[in-house]
Amino acid sequence: MSEPDIKTRWQTQPMEDIAVSLFDLQARARSFRARVRARNVALILYSLANIAAGGALIWYGYFPSMRYPMLLMIAAHLFVLWQVAIRVSLRDQPAGLPGQALIDFLKGESERQRDALSAAWLWYIFPFMPAFLWELGIWANAILSHPDGAAKTGNIRLFALVVVAAILFWGAVWLFFARGAKRLKGQIDALDRLRGE
Amino acid sequence: MGQDEQYKSAVGEFGPALQRLAKSYERDADLVRDLVQEIHFALWRSFSTYSGQCSLRTWVYRVAHNTAVSQRLRRRRPDLVSLDDIAEPSSRDDAEGAIGHAQAIAKLQGLILKLKAPDNQVMQLYLEDLDAGEIGDITGLSSGAVATRIHRIKALLARQFDEGGRR
Repeated sequence: MSEPDIKTRWQTQPMEDIAVSLFDLQARARSFRARVRARNVALILYSLANIAAGGALIWYGYFPSMRYPMLLMIAAHLFVLWQVAIRVSLRDQPAGLPGQALIDFLKGESERQRDALSAAWLWYIFPFMPAFLWELGIWANAILSHPDGAAKTGNIRLFALVVVAAILFWGAVWLFFARGAKRLKGQIDALDRLRGE
Repeated sequence: MGQDEQYKSAVGEFGPALQRLAKSYERDADLVRDLVQEIHFALWRSFSTYSGQCSLRTWVYRVAHNTAVSQRLRRRRPDLVSLDDIAEPSSRDDAEGAIGHAQAIAKLQGLILKLKAPDNQVMQLYLEDLDAGEIGDITGLSSGAVATRIHRIKALLARQFDEGGRR
């Protein structure tokens, strides 16, 4: 089969009739915006629920020794809410420029994702750390000053369990972000090599 | 011309090509239909920023391929290969003579579906009869890189559709 014959066959292949009307497109646009809004609202509700719970504990005087770290935790949630507002809501717009050349588009997408992964721990995890460590410090102090030896041993075990679990959890989250960013860096390098061919 | 009119004009001219494009990214008929709609949506939205910075054809293919590649990335298909590494299917079915139209199309789609970016896109655009300059504009590859790939594609097609029948 000759080259023009292959191209002709390709271009004359039978097609199913897939109709897409302007009405369909406008409905899809509405559904797309609704999905973005729902995702943002879910993030905001999560932070607001935490702020409300922390605020109630402070207001009603539970755990008085934890009052200031809890206030710091509320501040961290407010900071994350602000970051969500300025970072995530921007993605209502298409992430890449749709009319870019393919390699530039892919590179832009990979860089955006890499930057998001590299920076996520800074604005989504780190803000909670000071309050978390402060609470751990207060808890450790309370355990060490407890007069009952048997109760003290049990509490130390529980404390150690919480610390190990926190290290494993945050370590896994950090590793997840770091591996994702490394994989994306590899893709970006490969796209740069393609650009240089 | 407004966004809706530009979109209608583009679809009037490139509608069938967009369907062929979608079939070169997805095997399943439902996924093809979904991708066609996704491409139309992206194209319609894109005309709010199109001001003749490149030809309409280049713009339509860029938007369509970028949309399809994004969808493919979300699905994370790890088994894609380059033109150099593609394992060619055996051609036992063709041994008795010339292959039929549907069989030829299926064979081409099978080859394209296995290719990763940008080899996949170069092969599709080559089959759509775009020249090397336009393929470079759409993919972002240099003319030399496009020419190298087209040479490999021609060799692959020759093996598949000329000698393939006698293997």
